[in-house]
Amino acid sequence: MSIQEFTQRSLRSILAYVAPPAVLLIGIVAFWEFYVDWRDISIIVVPPPSAVVERFFENPDFFWKEGGYTLYEATLGLMFGSSVAIALAVLMAHSKLAERTFLPLAIVIKVTPLVAIAPVLVIIFGFGTTPKIIVAALLSFFPTLINAMTGFRDVNEGAHSFLRSVHASPWQVFWKLRVPSAMPYLFAALKVTYPLALIGAVVAEWFTGDRGLGLVIFSANANLDTPTLFVAIGVLAITGVTINIVLSVIERRVLFWHESVRSTTT
Amino acid sequence: MANTEYHVSLHDLTHVFDDGRRSLTALSSVTIDVPPGQFTSVIGPSGCGKSTLLRLAGGLLTPSEGTALVDGEPPRKAQRAREIGFVFQDPSLLPWRTVAKNIALPLEVDHLERTRELPDLAELLDLVGLSEFRDYHPYELSGGMQQRVALARALAFNPTLLLMDEPFGAVDEITRSALRYELLRIWERHGGPAGRKTVLFVTHSVSEAITLSDRVIVLSGRPGRVRADIAIELPRPRTEEMEQTEPFLDYAAQLRRLLKEDAQ
Ligand SMILES: Nc1ncnc2c1ncn2[C@@H]1O[C@H](COP(=O)(O)OP(=O)(O)OP(=O)(O)O)[C@@H](O)[C@H]1O
Ligand SMILES: [Mg+2]
Repeated sequence: MSIQEFTQRSLRSILAYVAPPAVLLIGIVAFWEFYVDWRDISIIVVPPPSAVVERFFENPDFFWKEGGYTLYEATLGLMFGSSVAIALAVLMAHSKLAERTFLPLAIVIKVTPLVAIAPVLVIIFGFGTTPKIIVAALLSFFPTLINAMTGFRDVNEGAHSFLRSVHASPWQVFWKLRVPSAMPYLFAALKVTYPLALIGAVVAEWFTGDRGLGLVIFSANANLDTPTLFVAIGVLAITGVTINIVLSVIERRVLFWHESVRSTTT
Repeated sequence: MANTEYHVSLHDLTHVFDDGRRSLTALSSVTIDVPPGQFTSVIGPSGCGKSTLLRLAGGLLTPSEGTALVDGEPPRKAQRAREIGFVFQDPSLLPWRTVAKNIALPLEVDHLERTRELPDLAELLDLVGLSEFRDYHPYELSGGMQQRVALARALAFNPTLLLMDEPFGAVDEITRSALRYELLRIWERHGGPAGRKTVLFVTHSVSEAITLSDRVIVLSGRPGRVRADIAIELPRPRTEEMEQTEPFLDYAAQLRRLLKEDAQ
């Protein structure tokens, strides 16, 4: 396949993925603008899209900067939560005792409502970045743990036997077989946990905010500044979508061999 | 290496799978001695413990009773010396690796003694006829090709013992028959200074067993016991025409009868 052909094909496939939701989005925004105007709805209740866009362009740097803080906290929290989860999953995949020990605790973390934790975290960690990172970490912890554990165990039985038959060490089995086998599960987890970590960071900022989109939402709400509120939500949504697209692109490269990727490329 | 007459010695092997709630006897007092260089097939009804037998011989399982020895020592010793090459029913390749990297996998596990000359990658690829496909991934290959990759992978250490568990069970009949002769060609060609490799080959197919083997062992239904041990005295190299000759058909009738009696 020539380069030109390749570019054409990928352009066409991008178009195929982007066009339908773009059309839908434009439709919704147009209807929203029209409806607000038609019903003469107060800007405090629901601002028209034009007012939201206008507010953003009055000071785009401000929104990007606050969004940047939130993204930063969410990312740190995600990395922290996922690292702990993966480390535990390694233990649990190798030992039933570890599974019996840690799984109930993990479930406790899962079912505890975050909103109830946030004020406690403020008391413990103060108003800095730490409580945000912890909330984001707690939210990304459980899905990663479950997926990683399943992934490390979901190895091809024959490949495992083969490695054992040539006397591979558990360490070699782990790196050569378990880690690659777990990758599809880890990517699936990441697509869920990254947005969750963002939500976690925002909620924590809400309670303990000195900066970030959570604070912007909180104070805009308090001031009845609805357009700003909508911009903050919009920036959050765009961040989430961008993250998902980036993850999908990376996933396609890393998991080229996996059914989930192959079934959607041809 | 202990000096023994037999390459593989299975003595009074009994294996019970017990998970605490149920226990199931898969094999019962199986004794088989395989001299070096012999091609032995094991045939028997489904679930009679053929795979279990192979896993015991290869040291992937420890018998509940009895002993399994390779070169007069526990199989783990042979594993460590990389004397065992396993091929399973499903090719069990790593899908993220290319053909070449899959074949080289066992060599990455090395770092121990290298007591014999290893075939190089190009040679292995050539042996299984996949030179052009070295950079392909398993999902780009047919089932038969994947199985040939698995065979090359098992040969990477140039092991003296090949354990094959229905390696052609998942491919179609025509490919299967072609692979059978290809395996024979490889086995006849790929000997070392120590002579041909010892092969323990599990199959469901009577004609496959006869074509390939010096000896066919028939196991009874569960729990598996040795029901018959038949020497196949057909000249080598074996050819497709032989399948129509009288001795071949006689062996086939004998084996079918043994398998059928057991089913009743
Ligand atoms: N890991 C295991 N745990 C419990 N039972 C097992 C296990 N592996 C095998 N078995 C049981 O042992 C018996 C023999 O199994 P095995 O796989 O050796 O049979 P087989 O002769 O290879 O069968 P097939 O021809 O279908 O491959 C079967 O009844 C099976 O259910
Ligand atoms: Mg079997």
